[in-house]
Amino acid sequence: MKSALTLAAIALTLSTGNALAHDEDVLQMSPPGAPYIQVSDALPLPEFIPGLGTLFVDPDTLPAGPFLAYGHDGNLSATVYMTPLEDLQSGTSYDGLAVGNHTVSSVDIYFNAGHPGVDRPHAHVVLFHDEDAKSRLAE
Amino acid sequence: MTPGRREFLMVGGGVIATLGFPRVTLAGPGETIEMKGTARGEHVWFAPVGLAVAPGTTVRFVNRDPGNSHTATAYHPDIFDRQRRIPEQAVAWDSDFLLPGESFEVTLTVSGVYDYYCLPHEMAGMVGRILVGQPTDQGWEGAAGDSDDLEPEALAGFPRVDDIIARGRILREEYE
Repeated sequence: MKSALTLAAIALTLSTGNALAHDEDVLQMSPPGAPYIQVSDALPLPEFIPGLGTLFVDPDTLPAGPFLAYGHDGNLSATVYMTPLEDLQSGTSYDGLAVGNHTVSSVDIYFNAGHPGVDRPHAHVVLFHDEDAKSRLAE
Repeated sequence: MTPGRREFLMVGGGVIATLGFPRVTLAGPGETIEMKGTARGEHVWFAPVGLAVAPGTTVRFVNRDPGNSHTATAYHPDIFDRQRRIPEQAVAWDSDFLLPGESFEVTLTVSGVYDYYCLPHEMAGMVGRILVGQPTDQGWEGAAGDSDDLEPEALAGFPRVDDIIARGRILREEYE
């Protein structure tokens, strides 16, 4: 019985792993497809935001995201999370958030006063996926 | 997070000292107020944040923030049911969201104090105040008082009427 459960667990792990790998591949080039939508199509924001690039998000994951950030070349450059400070202070936590790519070269965390979509003061947590990602998203 | 009044800087607007009421040369017939922000959006503001103009002046709001959108929205019950903070006879305005480089114009004809805000950034203290005419004008309506309708960050963002009268134009310390 134990071995059967172990096999089932391994099978589940492998299938989940395959799904994640497959999904991650799909996300590497813009557009990432459903359920992600381009932020500038839904909100009054520039198509390319200096520092963040062209953003896509699954609306069901707002406000935290992940937001997928693409450069002009269409490559996924960063995964971004936006966490309202007031929510964090009141005890809300954002756990187990997805990532667009499992390779992370550096992380920036900084304050943002707000913008359409997340119109409260919040933190931006930016996971860059390669050494050149920041420059690709700069402008 | 929101600069205090002591951080306002005086620029422009020649002050003419008289024995009576302080007088300032009023801007007009066209003035520009820029919507600005730091590169990462830590700070957002109107520049100037306080402005004195003559009745009939057309004020143009321009979004100079390359990474964000902004609005110039009058405090008025007709717009998002906010408490009125513009003269009773004045027409309320709302620019709607302006993307980088876009602009919106409004002509202000009724004397008094006009308070306005940026819809997505009011909680960050992005508000502004325009004085149209002078307190000695017939029908002048002064600044609205404090209100539960406003977040503390917004209330702290309005420059004092006396300062605007004295200086004509008030810029907040910029973060660039």
